[in-house]
Amino acid sequence: MSATLAVRDITMRFGGVVALEDVSFQAESGRVLGIMGPNGAGKTTLFNVISGVQKPTRGTVALGDRVLTGRSVAAIAGSGVTRTFQTPMMFWGLDVRESIACALAAHEFGGIFPPNPLRSLVPSGFGWPARRAADAALRERADALLATMGIAELAARPTESLSFGEERFLELARALAIEPMMLLLDEPLSGLNPDEVEIVLQTIVRARDAGIGVLLVEHAVGELLSVADRVVVLDHGRKIAEGTAREVAADPVVIDAYIGDELG
Amino acid sequence: MIAALWQYVLAGLVSGAIYALVAAGFVLIYQVTGIINFAQGEYVMIGAMTAASLASAGMPPLEAGAIAIVVAAVAGALSYVLAIRPARARGAAGVALIFITLGLDVALRGLGLIVWGTNPLSLNAFWTGSSIAIFGGVIQPQALWVLGADVLVFALLYVFFQRTYAGTAVRAAVASPAIASTFGIPLRTFAFWSFVAAAAIGGLGGVVIAPITSATYDMGLTFGLAGFVAAVLGGLESLPGALVGGFVLGIAEKVSGGLISTGWEQGIGFLILVLVLLLRPQGLLGRAVRQA
Amino acid sequence: MPRSAASYAIGGFVLFAVVAIAVWFIPPYYTGLITLVGIYALVTIGLNLFMGYAGQVSLGQAAFVGVGAYTSAVLTVKLQWSPWLGLVAGGIGAAIVAYVLSFVALRLRENLLALATLALGIVINVVFNQWDFVGGSSGFSSIPSFAIGRFTFDLRAHAILSWLLVALGLAFAGALVRSNYGRSMIAISAGELGAASVGIDALRLKRQTFVLSAIYAGLAGGVYASYQTYIDPTSFGFLLSVNFVLMSVIGGLRSLWGAPLGAAIVVALTQVLQSVVPIVIPSARGDFQSFFLGAILIAMLVFLPKGLVSRFGEARA
Repeated sequence: MSATLAVRDITMRFGGVVALEDVSFQAESGRVLGIMGPNGAGKTTLFNVISGVQKPTRGTVALGDRVLTGRSVAAIAGSGVTRTFQTPMMFWGLDVRESIACALAAHEFGGIFPPNPLRSLVPSGFGWPARRAADAALRERADALLATMGIAELAARPTESLSFGEERFLELARALAIEPMMLLLDEPLSGLNPDEVEIVLQTIVRARDAGIGVLLVEHAVGELLSVADRVVVLDHGRKIAEGTAREVAADPVVIDAYIGDELG
Repeated sequence: MIAALWQYVLAGLVSGAIYALVAAGFVLIYQVTGIINFAQGEYVMIGAMTAASLASAGMPPLEAGAIAIVVAAVAGALSYVLAIRPARARGAAGVALIFITLGLDVALRGLGLIVWGTNPLSLNAFWTGSSIAIFGGVIQPQALWVLGADVLVFALLYVFFQRTYAGTAVRAAVASPAIASTFGIPLRTFAFWSFVAAAAIGGLGGVVIAPITSATYDMGLTFGLAGFVAAVLGGLESLPGALVGGFVLGIAEKVSGGLISTGWEQGIGFLILVLVLLLRPQGLLGRAVRQA
Repeated sequence: MPRSAASYAIGGFVLFAVVAIAVWFIPPYYTGLITLVGIYALVTIGLNLFMGYAGQVSLGQAAFVGVGAYTSAVLTVKLQWSPWLGLVAGGIGAAIVAYVLSFVALRLRENLLALATLALGIVINVVFNQWDFVGGSSGFSSIPSFAIGRFTFDLRAHAILSWLLVALGLAFAGALVRSNYGRSMIAISAGELGAASVGIDALRLKRQTFVLSAIYAGLAGGVYASYQTYIDPTSFGFLLSVNFVLMSVIGGLRSLWGAPLGAAIVVALTQVLQSVVPIVIPSARGDFQSFFLGAILIAMLVFLPKGLVSRFGEARA
């Protein structure tokens, strides 16, 4: 199932500051769209708008024919658009496997958990064998997901014991668990050592090949360009360039915007 | 009708003045430490009870009042040292701190019950004499002490924060704790003194109001909750807001109590609180809150 | 998983059985205490779900107990309903009130939520005090006790009933927390944004948990009303709400077994202190035991290893 994420004329104003101005582009499923720009360009704000954390002053975001702007973060996630954060948001109190299982379960309920009150107030398990089996199956699926990322050994670890890199992995795995159509990754490589970077990049490629549309904000421009099919460049809230990785890297407008920042 | 209304307003000014003092204590602690100190009202009780019991043992009222304020300040110091500081040192934050100040409130109240029991104590007014007429309404002379206490406290707070070096340092520390600590500004010392000051202010309130309302074991709860509402109404980040909130609440209580029923006097404060939290959580004089 | 859902159900019924047998052997005074512990434990289970698992805070839970008690009292005294129906109605009444209030309170976080639940709890209490239909400050007396056939419940029967409800309450809550619902509650308490990003609707979940905690409290109130046969607004004030927080914290916020434990400790301590302290300090009067309980609450929160502290947002290095 493929879908297009259409971002149209997104403008974001806080007080006197214009964080985003008339930003428009499209992200396709099965493609990685890199989003680049110097510091303060508005990349995270853009993600906040798409994922529902903030409402734009103007403009719309739609997935296929479904309008996402104005809906809650959970509703947007339920519709198939999820994200990771610059600082990983962990489910303290759950271990790695449980965190994934939680996401899997939310997805099983058709997107938004909990479902209507009556259905969810009947607890999903009195310890009856059938329910226990269902939960065991859920945990197995969680383990399998971790294995595809190559991090199966983390399954039983408490979230509090994870290193920063491991937290990033968990957040990524959790996002994939809900089988999104669009995956927004906010600087997933920052703070990782080279081995960890490799794991994340491979996961991104696998996700893309499986048909997920990936939007990737990343400061490590070299890595971003190596994995992106197309790139959008923002500067001071405006889109200043769009094209393939090669086109964008050679674009004088882009290079100019980065003066003072390193370019790959 | 107008005469009755005016009388309610005058009564509201008096109770509102105490609410303003309690609210000032809340705001002070909240601004400096980010903590909402549920125990704030008990310092009022401690001040009132100490003054009343010392006076009934023969001490002149003004002396008794002065000592009572010191005792309240000590209670504030102990609150910080025995409860707040150890908790923060171990990383407690957010709701845990709320529970701690709740425990503090309950503990201080219990302490009051242990020392003084449940009987109300009375304190003689500092100025005796007949009531003073104001535009057709009357207030007791003691009310002038209450309002005077307000003027004194808020003036001192203003001078401290706006005109002294120490006060400016505190304001800087509150605005940017991380930067302040790199400058060697002692945040923990500020926190300590904010508790001491808030408690002293509360104690003063108790001392001046006791001749009017008597010192009762549950006045901590009553004044604490009212001071709460006043602080939120005025804006937890605003000392002038505490003053405004206190008077608005006091007058609203007395007016609605007089015109509608006594139930409203008790309940209107909390209705106001709910409305404020819903419609304008930053209070009348506060700046807009950031999204959590 | 450390503990299965079934263990709560089994353990709960073991506890119930112990009580059901013990009441035949102990003096009536202690039977009464056990009933009270059971009633409070029921409230605390609900509170632990809302505060410990979902990570919220309620400083007004006593008001829901009051709503349950008053609903039951009104129906049984004024409309001659059976106390059993009154009990159920108490739970429903509290649920409705909580549902309505949730639209006000649950938009707020932490400090403001604490203040809002505090305020709402007191407003409800003021309503009890002022509304003549529910007896105003005089409250309700002659509330009928439970009965099965011609057997009217005596002291022992009330104790058994309250602990039966505790057992059922533990079983239900245990199943809830050992399920995906429970995982979602924990996810929310860690951070609503993270949970939302996988499709968990925090507001809905908080509302459901709030209503559920009110149901527990309302049922407890219904039992309380028929057990005491007399209620007035002073029984359901702010200080009782603080006591419930105490019971939650002492027993362990994110635990269900902590509920009966905390309730038992607080009730037992109160009894001991009320008997002993006035001998040593004659001036002590009223609810002075709150000094010790408050000190314990503070000590728990300061010294409790990890547990509570890491639950409530320990500063990350």
